[in-house]
Amino acid sequence: MLLKLSLSSMRKMMKDYLVLLVGLVISISIFYMFQTLALNSDYTKNNSMISSIQIVFNVGAFLLAFITIFYIFYANSFLLSLRRKELGMYMVLGAKKGKISQILFLETLTMGIISLVIGSLVGIALASGIGVLLMNLLEISTDGYYPFYLPAVWMTWGFFLILFIITSTINATRLARATELALIRAEQQNDQIKSKGIGAVLVAILGVILLALGYTCLHLIMYLQALGFIVGAISCTIGTYLIFISLLPVLVQALKKNKKLNDSKLNAFTFAQLRFRVNNLTKILGTVAMLIGLGVGAMAGGLAFQQNVNLFTSVFHVYDVNLHDPVEADYEALKKMNVLEQNTYRYKVDDKAYYYLKEDLLANPLLISTNSTQNYSADNKPKLVTDPLPKETYIISASKEDNGKYDAVPEDWDKAISANFINYQMIEGKSVLVVDQATYEKTAGSEHKVLLAQVDDYLKYTQELKAMDERQKQMIGSIANVEVKDVYTSSKYSTYAGMYIFTSGTMFMGFFLGIAFLAMMASCLMFKILSGASRDKDRYSMLRKIGVRQSLLVGSIYKELFMVFIFPAIIGLMHVLLGMEMFSFILLDPYLNIWIPTLIFVVIYAIYYYITVQLYRGIVLPKEA
Amino acid sequence: MSTAVLEVKDVQKIYGTKGESQSHALKGVSMTIDKGEFVGIMGPSGSGKTTLLNVISTLDRPTEGFIEIAGTNITQMKNNQLADFRSQKLGFIFQDFNLLENLSVYENIALPLSLQGVPSKEISNKVSKVAQTLGIEEILQKYPVQISGGQKQRAAAARALVHDPAILLADEPTGALDSKNAKSLLETMTDLNENHQVSIMMVTHDAFSASYCKRILFIQDGKLYTEIQRTGDRQQFFKQILDVLAELGASHDVR
Ligand SMILES: Nc1ncnc2c1ncn2[C@@H]1O[C@H](COP(=O)(O)OP(=O)(O)OP(=O)(O)O)[C@@H](O)[C@H]1O
Ligand SMILES: [Mg+2]
Repeated sequence: MLLKLSLSSMRKMMKDYLVLLVGLVISISIFYMFQTLALNSDYTKNNSMISSIQIVFNVGAFLLAFITIFYIFYANSFLLSLRRKELGMYMVLGAKKGKISQILFLETLTMGIISLVIGSLVGIALASGIGVLLMNLLEISTDGYYPFYLPAVWMTWGFFLILFIITSTINATRLARATELALIRAEQQNDQIKSKGIGAVLVAILGVILLALGYTCLHLIMYLQALGFIVGAISCTIGTYLIFISLLPVLVQALKKNKKLNDSKLNAFTFAQLRFRVNNLTKILGTVAMLIGLGVGAMAGGLAFQQNVNLFTSVFHVYDVNLHDPVEADYEALKKMNVLEQNTYRYKVDDKAYYYLKEDLLANPLLISTNSTQNYSADNKPKLVTDPLPKETYIISASKEDNGKYDAVPEDWDKAISANFINYQMIEGKSVLVVDQATYEKTAGSEHKVLLAQVDDYLKYTQELKAMDERQKQMIGSIANVEVKDVYTSSKYSTYAGMYIFTSGTMFMGFFLGIAFLAMMASCLMFKILSGASRDKDRYSMLRKIGVRQSLLVGSIYKELFMVFIFPAIIGLMHVLLGMEMFSFILLDPYLNIWIPTLIFVVIYAIYYYITVQLYRGIVLPKEA
Repeated sequence: MSTAVLEVKDVQKIYGTKGESQSHALKGVSMTIDKGEFVGIMGPSGSGKTTLLNVISTLDRPTEGFIEIAGTNITQMKNNQLADFRSQKLGFIFQDFNLLENLSVYENIALPLSLQGVPSKEISNKVSKVAQTLGIEEILQKYPVQISGGQKQRAAAARALVHDPAILLADEPTGALDSKNAKSLLETMTDLNENHQVSIMMVTHDAFSASYCKRILFIQDGKLYTEIQRTGDRQQFFKQILDVLAELGASHDVR
């Protein structure tokens, strides 16, 4: 009987449970997807490229688990509070407390198991869809990667089952400790109206100061190092909470004090509702702001790392193509590209040294990058090396015997030649010299050449460049007598590819982590708002009776909840925008494409805002006939 | 020339749709209230008092019939028009939940004017005037939790009157008050009616409250049973009411 009652009441609160379920499914499925990568060591062992990002996914799964614990506790206590009255009623009617606790325990657990089943299925789908897509994008073989991976399933089920059992137990014991009257009266609390005085203003100022201090620390992180990060993070967090505790209530108070505004239409009511919310939701709003910061930050950070790969490579490499002794296939490939500039430079090799022909260098001087990672600007264009080379012979890299024999080449030339001509695996400790025509002709060794080219956009030709790189590796491998897989080329492409995989993995994780964070946070906010909705019912019904148009009431709901949602969003995004600066010491441009994560956040958040308004509206307003 | 503020003709109200268990709450009620009248509606529980008040106050639509308030036919109006009509032409006092507890008394009273877009200055003037009439100037800045039940109902009355409605509709306004506060509210209503020409329709259970009215309509089983007019003093009227109620109760028992 009691079971039937509880089932029917659960059905009534279907929407609320659905929101909880969606949050859980998102978390579980992403957790599972991370685990398929983190746990499958056979796969990662065979893919040296991906093993570097395994750690990233382990960290991601840990963070996700951590935040999920909070989410589950939070969401469950809200659902419990929604049902307190009903459960209290059962007790008054004579149902045994133990029995009710038992039912509650089963309910929570059932909910958990349902979400686990759906979550695992969604997770497998995610892994086989997005996971495999990722590998293909990174051009990593998917052999050995299993979207359905049993250890990952065990891990996911084990972790979440324990979590659910703990929360169910806590829910049940919490109920067991409450008295019937406390349960029934749960909702009959009046809004307390505390007037905010000068104290609040002081606290608000303190909050702003702390935020400013935090941001400054993060900006100066290059000098302050770990201390800057710790102080920055702590003072940002405290500052955020202080602002929500003081500044917001003061702001709303100020809105209300504006008599003209307050006396217009339904504003008095809207502001009063808002005042109640900002006074009551300070902690959750602060938390939401922080987690928005973290979520969007994770996305933006991952993305920034990935997007900066291209900038990084352009700092180190001016030339897109760099080939020793190009073969027919290389020329064919070059024909397919839009080549802006292409030069070849001759050199000879004997058993002692590499001899580059000075006249070739002077005929087509090399370009060098004027950027560095410390001091990056898109305006720093590559410059031509123009230093004259009057001497007969210069040395760039000296073998033991040649040490000190020749003049060193001017610095810019050294930089240009080192960057484009020298592969240390290839030269095997020989000297590298620049010699004039006469000396060159006298030298006995075999003649070779290097081809350097710039194309319009090297990212368009990654396929061809990859093939070129493979051929170079073969060649260098045979010269240096090492296995091809151990050869490192110094081409732009190889620099790019190496960083791209790591950063893409980071970005991928950042995105999913961010999405999971945002979904869970937004649903927490939603639960909190909805749990107070039944209390507002009488107010809306009274307003309707005295003749407030339905559209005006709906408008008021939209307005009020918009304010509640927008404040943490603004502060959270501000954290991201100002906080990303701290990456500027490792990233060239932390803000590259930051609009993408911002947009994703806005979309997710807007969806939750809309759903919250609709659910809230469904509770407080009757359907319009 | 007709001075009716309210005209109700053959109003029927059936709850529930066809096929389901229907409840015929009003079975053809007709009545008129003239300007400046203080009319009471009485009847046994379940007789249709609240239903009648609800269809008159446009909160509910009659299934059949015709209602005109201050010369406007309200039965054909759209939802938005009805809401506007309520906010401009009607004043309400309910048994409870009259005031929004998150607004100050001032803000509560100002609400109907704010809704009509009255300028802030004018609102201020009108609120203080109506507060004076009801003797609640002192508590304007307080919140509902900080004032007594009687003060709350006075504030509700002020809220109901601030925009000069055509008629004041009250559903058991004294229901949640002790006898002292009830009496004081009723005296205030009488004063409003006699000295400020406010037309009032009040639904009540209670013969004592009803005795403050000038005329009382009795409903039974969704139909008008009888009506009595006050001719002498209140005590006498009170006895008259009790007589009718006894009669009503008797006829109920027979059925
Ligand atoms: N929303 C509704 N749906 C269905 N039936 C209703 C509804 N509201 C009232 N009724 C029925 O209509 C009849 C009249 O109800 P009404 O509330 O008008 O009585 P009342 O005279 O106000 O009674 P009381 O003195 O107890 O308040 C009753 O039989 C009631 O059951
Ligand atoms: Mg009633």
